[in-house]
Amino acid sequence: MAGNVIGKSVVRKDALEKVTGAAKYVGDLKFSPMLHAKILRSPYAHARIVSIDTSEAKKLPGVKAVVTGEDFHQYVGLYLVDRTLYAYEKVRYIGEAVAGVAATSPEIAEEAVKLIKVEYEPLPVVLDPEEAMKPDAPLIHEKLHEYKCVPFIFPVPHTNISNHFKIRKGNVEEGFKQSDYIFEDEYYVPHMQHCPIEPHGTIAHMDQKGKITVYNSCQSPNATRKLLSAALNYPVNKIRVIAPYVGGGFGGKAGATIETLVVPLAMKTPGYYVKLIYNREEEFRDTFVRQGMKAYVKTGVTREGKIMAQELKMIWDGGAYTEYGANITRAAGYTSGGPYEIAHMKTDSYCVYTNKPVGGPFRGFGMGELHWALEQQLDQIACKLGIDPVQIRMINACRDGSINACGEKLKDIGLTKCIEKAAEMIGWDKPKEQTPGKVRGRGIACMVKGPAMPPNAGSSAVLKINEDGSANLLITATEIGQGSMTALAQIAAEELGMSVDKIEVALPDTEYTPYEWQTVASRITYSAGNAVIRAARDAKRQLKELAAVGFGVTPEEMDVANDKVFLTANPEKYYTIAELSLGLVLPNGGGVGGPIIGRGSWVPEGLGGLDPETGQGTKAVAHWTFGCQAVEIDVDVETGKIDLVNVAAVYDIGRVINPCMAEGQTQGGIVQGQGVAFHEQMVFDENGKLKNPSFVDYKLINAVEMPRMSIHFVETPLEDGPYGARGFGEHVMVPTAPAIANALYDALGIRVKSLPMTAEKVLKAIKDKNSR
Amino acid sequence: MHQFMYVKPKDITEAVRILAENGEKVRVLAGGTDLIVRMVDKIWKPEVVIDIKGLTGLSGIREIDNYGVAIGAATPLNEIIGHPLIQQHFAVLAEGAHEIGSCQIRNRATLGGNLCNASPLADTAPALLVLDAVAVVQGEEERLIPMTEFFAGPGKTILARGELLKEIRIPYLPTESKGIYYKHARTKAVDLASVGVAVLALKPGEIRIALGAVAPTPVRAKKAEAFLSGKEITTGVIKEAVALVQEEVSPITDIRATEEYRREIIAVLVRRGLYEIQKFLRGE
Repeated sequence: MAGNVIGKSVVRKDALEKVTGAAKYVGDLKFSPMLHAKILRSPYAHARIVSIDTSEAKKLPGVKAVVTGEDFHQYVGLYLVDRTLYAYEKVRYIGEAVAGVAATSPEIAEEAVKLIKVEYEPLPVVLDPEEAMKPDAPLIHEKLHEYKCVPFIFPVPHTNISNHFKIRKGNVEEGFKQSDYIFEDEYYVPHMQHCPIEPHGTIAHMDQKGKITVYNSCQSPNATRKLLSAALNYPVNKIRVIAPYVGGGFGGKAGATIETLVVPLAMKTPGYYVKLIYNREEEFRDTFVRQGMKAYVKTGVTREGKIMAQELKMIWDGGAYTEYGANITRAAGYTSGGPYEIAHMKTDSYCVYTNKPVGGPFRGFGMGELHWALEQQLDQIACKLGIDPVQIRMINACRDGSINACGEKLKDIGLTKCIEKAAEMIGWDKPKEQTPGKVRGRGIACMVKGPAMPPNAGSSAVLKINEDGSANLLITATEIGQGSMTALAQIAAEELGMSVDKIEVALPDTEYTPYEWQTVASRITYSAGNAVIRAARDAKRQLKELAAVGFGVTPEEMDVANDKVFLTANPEKYYTIAELSLGLVLPNGGGVGGPIIGRGSWVPEGLGGLDPETGQGTKAVAHWTFGCQAVEIDVDVETGKIDLVNVAAVYDIGRVINPCMAEGQTQGGIVQGQGVAFHEQMVFDENGKLKNPSFVDYKLINAVEMPRMSIHFVETPLEDGPYGARGFGEHVMVPTAPAIANALYDALGIRVKSLPMTAEKVLKAIKDKNSR
Repeated sequence: MHQFMYVKPKDITEAVRILAENGEKVRVLAGGTDLIVRMVDKIWKPEVVIDIKGLTGLSGIREIDNYGVAIGAATPLNEIIGHPLIQQHFAVLAEGAHEIGSCQIRNRATLGGNLCNASPLADTAPALLVLDAVAVVQGEEERLIPMTEFFAGPGKTILARGELLKEIRIPYLPTESKGIYYKHARTKAVDLASVGVAVLALKPGEIRIALGAVAPTPVRAKKAEAFLSGKEITTGVIKEAVALVQEEVSPITDIRATEEYRREIIAVLVRRGLYEIQKFLRGE
């Protein structure tokens, strides 16, 4: 049956290639002549570069180019243009790129890197963002006030604060006065790494005409192209970005990171292909990291459990450059009510420079950090007031008509259904099973997230109909494992009445595939999906028009299904799509119309800015996706070790396009959230050196530790979503950690407010409680 | 990776000669799961790499009449874990070996590699210590070293220049026995031990205890063993034994755990081990 594929678990387009190992990634690509790049990195967290001497390195046979900040110190940045391609005048974290070498072998490149002599003058190091905010703190970016930024980022000149986002909703003091109880607490999240299975990798080439081609493991071919173009003052159409399969992104391959090091080397060596694949240490330290965050929360509630007021201060440990991270601060700010309606709010979200690796996008885009605080805070309130944690969430949950932090009136919200279903699935009201020697606990947490992006972030799609009735779908969404190829093929097939197997989806090549802002923000099914619908409808319109000419009727009398364009009144009279693909052939052999190409462009409408002083406005993001997770854990009270036993996850994703992939996303997110809960943290020494840049001491969850997971989707259609679908993907890792923390309290009456909840930390909390 | 000479000797004699000739400059390659990683990370830069995989007399498991079992140093861990002689007589060693890395790593990693690496937290070491295993070392001469004397410090063994660990011999236990290996780590698989504890009981009343990751080398808790010898295992006795074990270890604070926490875990794992032993000795 052609078409009719929305909501079906169509097999992934990339499944066979990936399970057989045939799929090619940047690291697999080889060209000739090839050069290998290596990067000299700063041993200081904060220092002035006094001099760089590259003469010995340049003399080494096999070395074709050496570049430094002297040659390439142009600024680059997505939201706040604060980063130079190579370190210039100063280094700001241990690991920052100071020089790059391209040579005929990796060994020679490495040898050459060692021959570069750099003289540094160490400067005071600032590692704690709260220290960095103090008036007398050493400045990490003296020229912050000169940096360009988008209109919705607010740096504070002559400080280390690169963005200060505010919400002033209602009257928070009045709200506290109306409250029966006031709760104050602090929560902390450390730095984390995305840990994609494939590290960042780039091959860059400049031909003799000056055309730059970049083969790139990235999430954002168009954004990469734009950032390179802006930084290098180079025409956009002279830069071509090709993204083969990408072995995981999780946000870390958004914007531009490694590319800005490799392209300068390629520009110095025209004709050569310059390749750089990060090792795991570089992957941990020298790409984007998830920012640390400290939250101070003050909540006023009535004795019935209704939140009246919330005052929230979030201090983000932005690292050495916050070109992308500054917008995370904003996203957490405008979402700072969480999934609840709060009448009176005051939020201050600060992005702060520190001498640590560069903060940037990470699955959740600030939501994991925010909800770690909010969901524990609400749980504490419930426990103190003697209200069931499920009940207090039902009391405060956003519903149709709720007004969120920015003053937006919400509609089509299914959160309460998610809460009720998650509670039912975990058996909230049933007695707990017990594991011998362990203590069982049960916890729940909700979440909300919108696609954080500029208000005008657009998508486009081209659909070419071929002479055999098949189609090529051209899009620039990257397949980072999330299944975009398959979901978008389903959407095209549905619209065209075509079998999904007949639709081939292109991998991004900015030379041929049309514009896509970025593969981030859980926005591809939503935004690119809408563009694909429009492209397919455009192709369909052309098919109907041609068929109508053939039958001497109007296009409105035609319909398309099952690979055919037929007369609605008489389906026996039809053309196959193949017959019309290159245009209608008239009985006399002449042609009409020509080859069919459908085009679709899309941008969410009705979005706008927020007031810089109050954060109030109509619509901060395109839409909201809500969800809820309930968990059961077993705690070993002698060792402090927690086992995650059961998870029930329920999300309102509007419309499930592919159930199998939606469940897979959810499972992956739960397990990533589990890693956040138990293990993941980047540990720095007192000089700012990362102590665990490998999987030896940065632990992820193993298969044996995965919980039993039951997953359900609520489907409250989104008005402008494809078939009602909402953005979904990042959301699933957000509530896992706070749900586990709440379960820990349920089990033992202890609360760990800083991540991760290591066995050692839990045991200490148990002992502290026992000694009280 | 840097340039080095790769040598595949034809037999143990040649291997030993190459080791003697090159001294500090040579590294032995068996499974390569530690060596290659360190070479890629440039922690080790050997000029010569000598590959002992498949050399006659270095791989495989054989029975020695009236004594016990010999395991070739280059025997992969998974072969040991699944071997009937090991399963039947020395299951505690299989438990320890199974705690190392992932299944894929255990297909490559060898017993000799795990031991010669001389990590204080080697998961096979506590089991071999309680089993009174003996290392057979081949140099110009062959010498037998009790496993309790094999480790000299973190990353150091007693192997001298020109010596190769050939095999590990484990004597059969004289009476019915039960061995247990408990490992505490951050994750349930593919992690390094924060504490490893092996406990072995021989009927009627001998108990041996060895620990990993709690001292510069894997250690036997001899004082606790002497205290437990012949005693009925009661809750009070266990408590005293745990206190004695604490005197015999010197855990440190590192990124994986603090000293304080390691001591907590040592107590928990030794106690749990002894309660299991109590059941065994009582015939439960």
